[in-house]
Amino acid sequence: MASSSAATRELQKELEGKANDLSKIQKDISKNHQVRKKYTIQLGENELVLKELDLLSEDANVYKLIGPVLVKQDLAEANANVRKRIEYISAELKRLDSTLQDMEEKQNSKKEAIYKLQQRIQSLQAGKAKA
Amino acid sequence: MGEPPKGTVTSLSSIYSPEDSQKASVRVQETISERQKEVQQLQTFLNDNTNLVNLVKKLPDQLHHDIMANHPHLDSFLISLTLISVPFGKAAFFPGKIIHTNEFLVLLGEGYYADRTSKQTIEILKRRGKDLESQIENLNAVIKDLKYEASFFIETATEAAEGVVEIREDYVDEFLDEEKEAPTEEEYSRILSRIDELEKEEMESEMAEEDEEKEEEEEEEKDKAELSDVLSRTHLEPKVISSEKHMGNEHLKSKESSNIKAPTSSATSNTLSRPIEQKKSEILPQRIVSKNEVSNSGSNMRNDSSQAFTGSIVERTHNTEKSQTSQPIAPPSKPVSRFKMQRK
Repeated sequence: MASSSAATRELQKELEGKANDLSKIQKDISKNHQVRKKYTIQLGENELVLKELDLLSEDANVYKLIGPVLVKQDLAEANANVRKRIEYISAELKRLDSTLQDMEEKQNSKKEAIYKLQQRIQSLQAGKAKA
Repeated sequence: MGEPPKGTVTSLSSIYSPEDSQKASVRVQETISERQKEVQQLQTFLNDNTNLVNLVKKLPDQLHHDIMANHPHLDSFLISLTLISVPFGKAAFFPGKIIHTNEFLVLLGEGYYADRTSKQTIEILKRRGKDLESQIENLNAVIKDLKYEASFFIETATEAAEGVVEIREDYVDEFLDEEKEAPTEEEYSRILSRIDELEKEEMESEMAEEDEEKEEEEEEEKDKAELSDVLSRTHLEPKVISSEKHMGNEHLKSKESSNIKAPTSSATSNTLSRPIEQKKSEILPQRIVSKNEVSNSGSNMRNDSSQAFTGSIVERTHNTEKSQTSQPIAPPSKPVSRFKMQRK
């Protein structure tokens, strides 16, 4: 009797730990989602800028807002910058995707572990009730 | 009919509880309203955009505009668009004039600005407007999808609440349905004889009438024919059987695929190996009947072998279902499997 209750307690502790891990992973996932949303919006904006920059004539004046001042920029330079930015964001999005996948896998395995633990606890308790 | 139930009956509420589907529909409704809010926001952007286009169109009409003069067309857009910083600090404004009314500094996004004329600005704005419109369209499509989803959930919820049941049944040929009530051995042989009759009819149309009487005798004989008898006969014509076997397998496959559509077909795959054997045993007797006539003309035989099959396939489904309940059918499979060994 005493040993079985001790085992249940241990299992419960394990379950708690796993649940904490799971909630941490879920938090990470939601954070990942937010960051991804931000990046996708930026990507869209950058693509828009690139489209507009492509449409500008060579001699057009282009400025970049840096802090409180507008700094005049070369069109080619601005174009290259935007392209680089798009590249960076795409890479970042890819990276976020892979990490997200990773985390989801972890989450699933954690969920399964928790489910198994719960079942074990239940069976233990059922056994105790019989005894 | 006295036969075991063909399918399973499950009440819908046991699969989808009404509360759950209700919850699901509520959640979908929430996302719908969220999307609708997004659409509204985009719509306001679009309206702002068109207003801005109108304003930008009008600005170069005059050489300069007085800002504090409460001009009907000029509002805050103007201030953000032109270089004149009329708002002074956070609280102070002073009167000013807009000059260079055809020079715009347009924010392209991401901190990039470009000097543009009124016309060029309008072009940019129009492109933005198109972008916004496509976004709105996309969102509307999403909303439409979600609405369908929601209506499905609601339907399921009400159906579950009303106690609608789901009936699942293996697909069975109509042909067989009449003969469904024949699980015993005698009836089984009766079915065979009936199939033989049908087969014979087909045969008659193709074959010369001369053999008919002989055939009928044969058939009667067959009615009581033991399977061992069948077996010995089949040895005479191994080729016929082999061609049949292939056909049979093909039919089996097609049967399988049709079964997949029926949700409870899992049983079929379990009993698959046995049906094949049983099937052969069924095929054999049928073949025997027609053998006498067929053996003279190989080409015809091939033709009618496919026809003979329509019957045997029907049998198979029947057997799969019965296999658990009526074992009498099983014995025939034994001699056949022996035969199979010999064939190898």
